[in-house]
Amino acid sequence: MLINTVLLFLQSALPLFIIISLLLLRFTTASESLVTHKNIFIMSALAIVFVFLLNQHMEKISQLFDGKGTELIFSCGFIIIYFCSALLFLLNNKNRFIKVKKTLALIVLLLVCSLNGSHFILYLTSYWAQSLPFESLFIGIILAIGICISFAILFYFLLRYCDAYIYINTSCYFLLFFALGQLMQSIALLQQVDILPLNDSLWNSTNFIAENSELGQLLRVLLGYETTPSVMQLIIYLTAFIVPVFISKSRSFVWLSQGEKS
Amino acid sequence: MVKILSKGYTVLLLIHLLFLFSFIVEAKRPEYQLALKNHLFYPAQIIIPANKKVKLVIYNHDNSVEEFDSFDLNREKVIFPLQKSIIFIGPLPVGEYHFFGEYHPNSARGKVVVVEIKRNQAVSPHLLNPKQGELHVN
Repeated sequence: MLINTVLLFLQSALPLFIIISLLLLRFTTASESLVTHKNIFIMSALAIVFVFLLNQHMEKISQLFDGKGTELIFSCGFIIIYFCSALLFLLNNKNRFIKVKKTLALIVLLLVCSLNGSHFILYLTSYWAQSLPFESLFIGIILAIGICISFAILFYFLLRYCDAYIYINTSCYFLLFFALGQLMQSIALLQQVDILPLNDSLWNSTNFIAENSELGQLLRVLLGYETTPSVMQLIIYLTAFIVPVFISKSRSFVWLSQGEKS
Repeated sequence: MVKILSKGYTVLLLIHLLFLFSFIVEAKRPEYQLALKNHLFYPAQIIIPANKKVKLVIYNHDNSVEEFDSFDLNREKVIFPLQKSIIFIGPLPVGEYHFFGEYHPNSARGKVVVVEIKRNQAVSPHLLNPKQGELHVN
């Protein structure tokens, strides 16, 4: 039960810790600061309410749309995360659209927290219902929090170094890759309930990096790694990457985002 | 945002989206049933045909929540107490694909066995869909 708790917590919490690192990097200047008392209070209150509501109504949601409710609602959430993160990637200029960027960042944080948090709360309530010993649950959560915090700090400083010395937009691209990972989750959910088609997989990289391994899980959150991607998944992945990159490179968008006159 | 894109790229994007949505077609799938009792899957082994998408209906007869999870099948689905859930799997190549209950991974385990069926080969429905509780994998 200890290992299971660690794994489940990692699965639920790692995306949240990674997006916090990415957003802190994204909002570095004092004028843009995301970490204010007001924001922390609003975020915490909304996240608790959202997780509670989702958890309370999860059973009813799961029975909606002929048993496809959970997949549809969660995939909508993941798609919104993708679009908000892609917009954050596009609005790259530090001194413009500050209010819009802050709102987008808060939406992303809230959704990542709610969608992943509700999953872990379900596990916790199921655990308590079985009256199992509390120690392994408690130690498991503490261990997983430790792993998540350690990774998030290392990730933050690694990207800060890359932004400063290798390529100035490294963290921006990682934000886009994170968004692609979320989008891939929504694709998997829609394929699970037969809304999107399931084609034969293009390759199988399980022997190279298994998806259930620690590295596989990490790559899944960071880059949207998939061991057996289908043609459709590959097309969506490439489109969702190329379109924002193309828009960000287009001359008219550069003028718009930097406020230059054409 | 669309204004920013040139006309050619917008058309290309629309064609691309149409191509994606053209895949979305509802079809009748073969149905297989799976039950969860006392944190065990019955049957613990399901045999399905290769290269065919199938519908898996999972009934949870327990009083606790369980999550059907499979890394091999790339599926995750929460099943609430005394409720049923539906997922679709396949088309899959011949092989064995393991699944487990995420909240009781030591007891709730099973596998989907994918077998090749030739076009005119008569296959017993008993082979493809064994009765509940007939097989159990440890």
